[in-house]
Amino acid sequence: MNVRRVRQLAGVAIAVAFAALLAGCGAFGGDQNTFNPGGDVAERQRDLFILVLIPATVILILVSAAILYIVVRFRRRSDDEMPVQVHGNMRLEIAWTIAPLILLAFIAVPTVDGIFDLGRDARDDALHVRVVAFQWDWRFEYLDPEYADADGNPMTAEELFIPVDREVGIELSSLDVIHSFWVPKLAGKLDVIPGRTNRMWFNATEAGVYPGQCAEFCGIGHAGMKFDVIAVEPAEFDAWALEQLASP
Amino acid sequence: MTGAVIEQRTPTIGEALRRIRQEAATYNGVWSWLATVDHKRIGLMYGATAFVFFLIGGVEALIIRLQLARPESSFVDADAYNRLFTMHGTTMIFLVIMPLAVAFFNLLVPLMIGARDVAFPRLNAFSYWLFLSGGLLMTASFFTGNPGGSIFDGKLGAPDGGWFGYAPLTLNQFSAGTGIDYWAFGLLILGIASMAGGFNFVVTIINMRAPGMTMFKMPLFVWMTLVTSFLIIFAMPVITVALFQLLFDRLFGGVFFSVAAGGTPLLWQHMFWLFGHPEVYILILPAMGIVSEILPTFSRKPLFGYPFIVFSGIAIAFMSWGVWAHHMYTTGLGTTANAAFGISTILIAVPTGIKIFNWLGTMWGGSIRINTPMLFALGFIAMFTIGGLTGMLHSMVPSDFQQQDTYFVVAHLHQVLIGGALFGLFGGIYYWFPKFSGKLLNEKWGQLHFWTMFIGFNVTFQPMMILGLLGMPRRISSYSDGMGWGLWNMMATAGAFLIAFSIVVFMVNVVISLRSKEKAGADPWDGRTLEWAIPSPPPAYNFAEIPQVKALDDFWHTKYVESETGVPVPVVAGGAYGDDHDSGEGLGIHLPSPSILPLIAALGPAIMAAGFIYYDNPWLLPLIPVGVVITLVGVFGWALEPATE
Amino acid sequence: MQHAPTADVQHAPTIDAGHETSTGIDNRKLLMWLFLASECLFFGGLIGTYLLYRNSGVAPPCPQDCVFDGVMYQGLFDIPFTSISTFVLLMSSVSMVLALAAIQRNDRRGLGIWLLATALLGVTFLAGQAFEFTAFYNEGLTLNANLFGTTFFVLTGFHGAHVSVGVLMLVSMYIVSQRNGWTKEHSLNVELLGLYWHFVDIVWIVIFTLVYLIQT
Ligand code: HEA
Ligand code: HEA
Ligand code: CUA
Ligand SMILES: [Cu+2]
Repeated sequence: MNVRRVRQLAGVAIAVAFAALLAGCGAFGGDQNTFNPGGDVAERQRDLFILVLIPATVILILVSAAILYIVVRFRRRSDDEMPVQVHGNMRLEIAWTIAPLILLAFIAVPTVDGIFDLGRDARDDALHVRVVAFQWDWRFEYLDPEYADADGNPMTAEELFIPVDREVGIELSSLDVIHSFWVPKLAGKLDVIPGRTNRMWFNATEAGVYPGQCAEFCGIGHAGMKFDVIAVEPAEFDAWALEQLASP
Repeated sequence: MTGAVIEQRTPTIGEALRRIRQEAATYNGVWSWLATVDHKRIGLMYGATAFVFFLIGGVEALIIRLQLARPESSFVDADAYNRLFTMHGTTMIFLVIMPLAVAFFNLLVPLMIGARDVAFPRLNAFSYWLFLSGGLLMTASFFTGNPGGSIFDGKLGAPDGGWFGYAPLTLNQFSAGTGIDYWAFGLLILGIASMAGGFNFVVTIINMRAPGMTMFKMPLFVWMTLVTSFLIIFAMPVITVALFQLLFDRLFGGVFFSVAAGGTPLLWQHMFWLFGHPEVYILILPAMGIVSEILPTFSRKPLFGYPFIVFSGIAIAFMSWGVWAHHMYTTGLGTTANAAFGISTILIAVPTGIKIFNWLGTMWGGSIRINTPMLFALGFIAMFTIGGLTGMLHSMVPSDFQQQDTYFVVAHLHQVLIGGALFGLFGGIYYWFPKFSGKLLNEKWGQLHFWTMFIGFNVTFQPMMILGLLGMPRRISSYSDGMGWGLWNMMATAGAFLIAFSIVVFMVNVVISLRSKEKAGADPWDGRTLEWAIPSPPPAYNFAEIPQVKALDDFWHTKYVESETGVPVPVVAGGAYGDDHDSGEGLGIHLPSPSILPLIAALGPAIMAAGFIYYDNPWLLPLIPVGVVITLVGVFGWALEPATE
Repeated sequence: MQHAPTADVQHAPTIDAGHETSTGIDNRKLLMWLFLASECLFFGGLIGTYLLYRNSGVAPPCPQDCVFDGVMYQGLFDIPFTSISTFVLLMSSVSMVLALAAIQRNDRRGLGIWLLATALLGVTFLAGQAFEFTAFYNEGLTLNANLFGTTFFVLTGFHGAHVSVGVLMLVSMYIVSQRNGWTKEHSLNVELLGLYWHFVDIVWIVIFTLVYLIQT
């Protein structure tokens, strides 16, 4: 086996993989691209991902380079070549136990920080929406009293209207099996579990239509269990809400 | 004492049994396989069966890929698609990777520790037959078609709950028909088979070592077998309980997972993943053991940091019990739980890293020969590192809220399972093929196999990382244009066919190599461990004389002595002993007698399961007592029959 | 040097049992210990589920007195009765010990008597369980009545199944030991069955304590 070929092919494979990965980072649009966030939560999640992706990439490059270097440098040249028998090295062992630990400690801090920041309850002044998931559709109930009248709260199906730059507090409930509420450009997902109410929050920093999709396998209609989040200017939102109440 | 019992049976049956036993003892013919208790034959049967299931699971994967190649595709409908990916995942994990690893346990462990067989040869045969019947039961569900129609109406009957079968989707209410029942009973039976194997290998390794082989003189593969077996022993009961609960809910109206009755579906998830995460290490540790055998041989150096690799394996096994909720970050467990499980998950990188670095240390300064087994081992290190690092990306809780249940997970799991487990196992096949067939696998075809598989693997699964980041959820049977996913999916599909091609190359290689006239010899790779000391293929009794072990890599030390500077010098008379005796009798070796009873006992559970699945059908209900009777007959006969005659 | 023939489940050459294993522990004994360790997780899962769901039912009947919709329902558990059957099972462990002691003294008749006694006590326990199940059933507790019914019947049912298998093995061992003239060389067989029997017994003590006695 030709060493150059090993090196070339492996090199090419890795280069292609990385070029592709980087290309994926935003360059190829897509309405559910998590690398192209439209809200603070999704942005924070992307940043954390990249924060870890960088050392991970470095480790991968180091390990791959080490393999290639070793394979080339220590290739058997004659059949009766006999290397010195080394059984181990305590100092190295300690080093490569400690070094990852230190690196991991550095990664753990922003992770835990992120867990508690993003995991907090929605603020009181948020727009409160109850999301009801069922096989295979979505219903959204706008819970805030200011949008309610004697008949109750406005309700929409398949389209969730939200005002830009205002926090949205979501409570999730399911009528049958487990679903998962996910708007990739706005925030990571949270499961909608029958018998249980999960809560999350997010916001949209730009007006626009953000496609969302059920992310937990929920039966034959799972692939089609989609919805849109439509973020509009606050004034526009209030007008829309009034209109909803007017038309029963 | 026991011969008496046999004689008390009616003479005709007794005679017939005796004839069968005699035929089985001759080491050829169908009976000799059905009644074998020889660990090498059982290992080969495990391997061959797992490979057939691999082809089935692979064809399912190819259909999945064809469906996803283009947006809005309708190659298969949503219903069939769901059943296909469920069976694909279940098949690949429980019927391919696990049994393939068990095949290696069977083939190698007794040879590596210098034993004549495993501790319980008939229990071993029982494991295999139970595995086969469980696998067939589960696969049979394809044909039942449900609800309504059958496979002949173009309706697949397979389970449709995904490989982790989340309740309540798997309850009757949401999954009518029998697919999930087949799935649950199949997994129950496979679980018992695995546990029986697990017990057997722990006892074998702890108790059957050749004199002088202390625990820390055992080959690393044996260590990983031990650790994996312990994981199996403790993880399988957990899923057994969960599956029983699911079946009670489905068949007898239990309310374990019923929300209306106050239960919680999350119970299933906790149980499944408490089993499921140790399970993924059950899948990878054997491959790590294999790689730890290949690297030293092809580098002509002992394993670097042997005790550290051993202990990191043990550490991984322990830690695997404390991370299960990383599959449940998005279920709303709360911030504290998420933080705790996030950190415990991150920590698993440390022992895994120790292994990777020690493997690099093994090769460093060695004399490296790159044959196909070594290529697969190198591929393992590189590709498993990618998979492990994507695992690290998953472990970051907040960002995993984006990646969970997307193609990023699909990418991760295939990177560790194919780039990791499967590459390792293929490396093992190339490495030990000569030992058990007496023929080396062809090197040219082997390299073609490796490179097509390596490239195909990268072309298939790296794009899935991008798809995940582009927001493509997993388990969707079709997607709309305009998401920007088409190109990457097309690429993945192309790659999958390249993998399929590489598998064809492998099969051709096996056929060509088996037909070749060239004999491999006892020790084709200049091996280090005991199995290379005996002829290829090994005689039924393995070792004519049980070796007296003095060192780690004992066989290597019979071939070389280290000079003052640590350089090995060949010993003139060292090496394998190749004297052939056809049966152990001449040497006064008693081998366990063949027995058909493990096979009979193993038929019972699947028959019982069929009875339970169709218990509302008066014609099929009697299958339950029939299955019970068959099991009892098998077990009692087994208990009363002498182990050696 | 020659290794002994490999041992097999029931048929390790008991005559020279435990002699040449690497650790000196007999293969079958090790197997039994591993099996029981694995069973701990099995029962752990079932008991854990029971405890998780304790008090979360939404319908009667309940183990202890409970109130639904303002109506008071009497608890089903009859602690004195179950205490007696628990005691019976405990006694069966004693007779199992005596069975082992008998065969170790080469007393085959004693072995037979104590094996049967153990089986009888086991059957008594099972009868008690059958009675309890029927009584609960008549009070409206079915497998699908509520979470209590499901978790209780499945947990205690699996335990009962283990006792039944034990009884089957005791009776089989009685027959084989008497017909084949067991001597003290065969005592390992009795010891192994004893391990299983004591384990099943201990599991019951745990169930009795956690399920019946400690109520929260
Ligand atoms: C062989 C099987 C296998 C293996 C070995 C692993 C290994 C790991 N897995 Fe993976 N995993 C699966 C099989 C496996 N996994 C499967 C099948 C699923 C999906 C189930 C499903 O949903 O269907 C899954 C899903 C999965 C998830 C859930 C994703 C989700 O659904 O949201 C997570 C989350 O944390 C995770 C994490 C990890 C981690 C941290 C490791 C670690 O063990 C990896 C450690 C290795 C390394 C890190 C690389 C080598 C180390 C170094 C070179 C040292 C230096 C490195 C650092 C300092 C970072 N895995
Ligand atoms: C070890 C495990 C393993 C292995 C080896 C594979 C192998 C492959 N997997 Fe698998 N996969 C899983 C484990 C595995 N998978 C799991 C656990 C899931 C999750 C399931 C779930 O969500 O529930 C999954 C899900 C999964 C999905 C996601 C489905 C979805 O979420 O909708 C996809 C999509 O592309 C996929 C593709 C592939 C491909 C292309 C291969 C290829 O590598 C396969 C290559 C093999 C072959 C192609 C066989 C060769 C066949 C021939 C040569 C034909 C000859 C035929 C005859 C002679 C009859 N897999
Ligand atoms: Cu709802 Cu998937
Ligand atoms: Cu995991």
